[in-house]
Amino acid sequence: MKTVRLPLFALCASLMLPAPAFSAATVGQPAPDFTASGTDGKRHSLADYRGKYVVMEWVNPGCPFVRKHYSSGNMQTTQQEATRAGAVWLTINSTAKSSGDYLSAADMGQWMSEQKAAATATLLDTDGKVGMAYGAKTTPHMYIIDPQGKLIYAGAIDSKPSAKVEDIATATNYVRTSLQEALAGKPVSQANTKAYGCSVKYEG
Amino acid sequence: MPSLRASFLARLLLLALLVPVCAQATARVETPRVRAELLAYAPEGVAAGKPVWLGLQLQHQPHWHTYWKNPGDSGLPTTLAWTLPAGASAGEIDWPAPRPLPFGPLVNYGYEDTVLLPVPLTLSEAPASGGLPVKLQADWLVCKEECIPESGEFDLLLPNGGVLDQHRAAFEAALAARPQALANASAEVRVEGDTLVATIAGLPATLAGSELRLLPETEGLIEHAQAIQQSWQDGRWQAQVPLSPQRSASPERLPMVLLAGDSAFRVEAPVSGWKALGTASAAAPAPAPAPGAAPPTGIGFAAGLLLALAGGALLNLMPCVFPILSLKVLGFARHAGARRELAVGGFAYTAGVILSFLALAGALIALRAGGEQLGWGFQLQEPVFVAALALLFTLIGLNLAGVFELRTLLPGSAAGWQLQHPAADAFLTGVLAVAVASPCTAPFMGAALGFAFTLPGAQTLLIFAALGLGLALPYLLASLLPPVARAMPRPGAWMARLRTVMAFPMFATVLWLLWVLGVQAGVNGVIGLLGLLLAVSFAAWAWAQPGRSRWWLGTPAVALLAAALAWSLPGLRAQPAPAATTAGWETWSPERVAALRAAGQPVFVDFTAAWCVTCQVNKRTTLADAAVLEEFRRAGVALLRADWTSRDASITAALDGLGRSGVPVYALYPADAGTPQLLTELLSAGEIRSALANLK
Repeated sequence: MKTVRLPLFALCASLMLPAPAFSAATVGQPAPDFTASGTDGKRHSLADYRGKYVVMEWVNPGCPFVRKHYSSGNMQTTQQEATRAGAVWLTINSTAKSSGDYLSAADMGQWMSEQKAAATATLLDTDGKVGMAYGAKTTPHMYIIDPQGKLIYAGAIDSKPSAKVEDIATATNYVRTSLQEALAGKPVSQANTKAYGCSVKYEG
Repeated sequence: MPSLRASFLARLLLLALLVPVCAQATARVETPRVRAELLAYAPEGVAAGKPVWLGLQLQHQPHWHTYWKNPGDSGLPTTLAWTLPAGASAGEIDWPAPRPLPFGPLVNYGYEDTVLLPVPLTLSEAPASGGLPVKLQADWLVCKEECIPESGEFDLLLPNGGVLDQHRAAFEAALAARPQALANASAEVRVEGDTLVATIAGLPATLAGSELRLLPETEGLIEHAQAIQQSWQDGRWQAQVPLSPQRSASPERLPMVLLAGDSAFRVEAPVSGWKALGTASAAAPAPAPAPGAAPPTGIGFAAGLLLALAGGALLNLMPCVFPILSLKVLGFARHAGARRELAVGGFAYTAGVILSFLALAGALIALRAGGEQLGWGFQLQEPVFVAALALLFTLIGLNLAGVFELRTLLPGSAAGWQLQHPAADAFLTGVLAVAVASPCTAPFMGAALGFAFTLPGAQTLLIFAALGLGLALPYLLASLLPPVARAMPRPGAWMARLRTVMAFPMFATVLWLLWVLGVQAGVNGVIGLLGLLLAVSFAAWAWAQPGRSRWWLGTPAVALLAAALAWSLPGLRAQPAPAATTAGWETWSPERVAALRAAGQPVFVDFTAAWCVTCQVNKRTTLADAAVLEEFRRAGVALLRADWTSRDASITAALDGLGRSGVPVYALYPADAGTPQLLTELLSAGEIRSALANLK
């Protein structure tokens, strides 16, 4: 049997497809390092924030799901809670220049201040490298990294996948609960959830 | 006058038919991207028990799309919330097969152009005379490059009784566009590292060699944009599907749609080999099996044999074996005082039991190899087999009651043979014991049987032989031990009385079998069988008459019997009866379990069958106990019942997934993706309490 099977698997291996577009940032594993420029004109690296919890939020102001969480103030409140607890909040826009939703650094910075956002920094990832490294697929898509640089949460902002503002009140905010659990020294109970929202507008 | 009345009626009818046309003007919502309309289709009229379909038709502007139940990397499925009058209920969307919609490095699943999402409407009573008002709140996300969440409220008045078929073509196209369920396919999914290995046999032969696309119905599981590796071998399709490193689900069953060009197929597979999802702390909580529940697989072969032996012996204590107990008591009485006959009878009985177990196991292995979704007790899922057993037990009962004697029925030589070979009689009792007892599983037996079907054929048969030996062992020992023979009273008049009394347990067994048949084939099946039993009883009595009256009475009796047989046979076909639910219990489906657990609710499942007496005893005692139900309620546990009385491939697969192949099985699933706890076959309130405590 084995002698029949081996060549077959070898054949499969030779037909292996091109490398996957998304790298595998995996919960429980070290989070991939990156450097990207912020709307403040500075370069920001994940390594700069070692020793602190880091929350990453994928954003696109043109997306109704993002607007759901900003117009309601839900995202800003979550940002304030996280940064007050000593965490770093990085809001990342991976929209490609070719997309109708693309915003320049100045426009993106202005939108964030109009929203009274409380992010530590807003980063532009126009070539999509950071988004691809984390497997960010939707806006919003949320990640939490612990002080040792390990990914401890990946997924949705909350438990109710909808575009309706009224659902926020009855949803479980996964970023809030995960961060609270982590700060209390407990394992994150729901470390992987299905992110929902618009597609990230990558190049291609 | 009559002609006038007829024309009035005709006009009234015409009016009724026109109503829907007028009503539908309010059933449309238009946005710059989508034209949405609520449609109805009632080919046999809007009436109780008739097929009635509602459907939301979405006509998209070019390049815009809405989503399937699993939207893929982003997006949201369309949701429908109905407001209906009492007596009407809408089912889930019966999704047409979607198309993969690539977007940059992402992939979505959904629909472009025009799609109709059909929903079955069930009417349990006739609608009010004014018609049936239907209200729909629909939400859909429509995307091109950008996404717009949209919604609409729709109103439709369905005429009472009226036929609605102006949208027949749209509905027929939508129903034809559903992925085709493959009755003969058997699918299995294994987790290997970070890939899912799906193996599917029984796909249509025309697909062989072609490239398929696999769309899981479960969200958050795979990397949709990565191509799968696939191969065909001996008519089986195998695919390696990359799991998402951030997957948020570990389903025990995976429903999936396979796309091959324009055709689509749906299969469901049990999934094995999940490792706990990545959590922030490396330590995943270990599954806690309930005390008494053996591990589903991975037990050694020797341990499997011992479990089977113990399980077989315990089977004697299960309520399903009671009819056999009375036959055995009679056997002991008949040979009281004759030690040699007792011993011979004991061995013959043991042989009968073991050989019947082997025959059943052999049949089961052969049928499963042929792709049939069958489990232990499968023979009683066949109404004809149930009817045959009822016939046999009626004849045994009549014989014991003295209506006829075998020697008057059979030619002298055959009757003499039976008397001269008491061993043959004991052997046949063994066969009967297995026929009646096999639908039940006893403690230890479930684990042993589940394990047996993971072994190569010869070892499976050995496990079954051990099971048979276990079942026969108490009688074999009793027939060999001198004290038992000595304890028997001397033969006398009491034996005739005992024999008559024993007819009643036989008739009680017939009662039970009639009930099983009633669940499977409805009241027509039961009446058919009762007619048959009546004809058989009459024929048995008639042929037992002395002299010429035997021919007088017997000939018409046999003709009557033939007529009864011809009349009743068509009724003995399994009909999918509407699931009778008990208050507080929902009908089981793998989707329902997954949905409840995803919503954070633990789930208790009672895998049961009408022919499984042990199941029925548990159902009427422990599981009907108000205190137990209250404990379930307080722990927030959803109660689901999976009824395996008739053949059901998805229940068989669920049992396989739990490492079992027969009922009863009691499984308590925690809300998260954790391993279910399996409780013992003789369920107690205390055991349920400790299992509920383990949930926390």
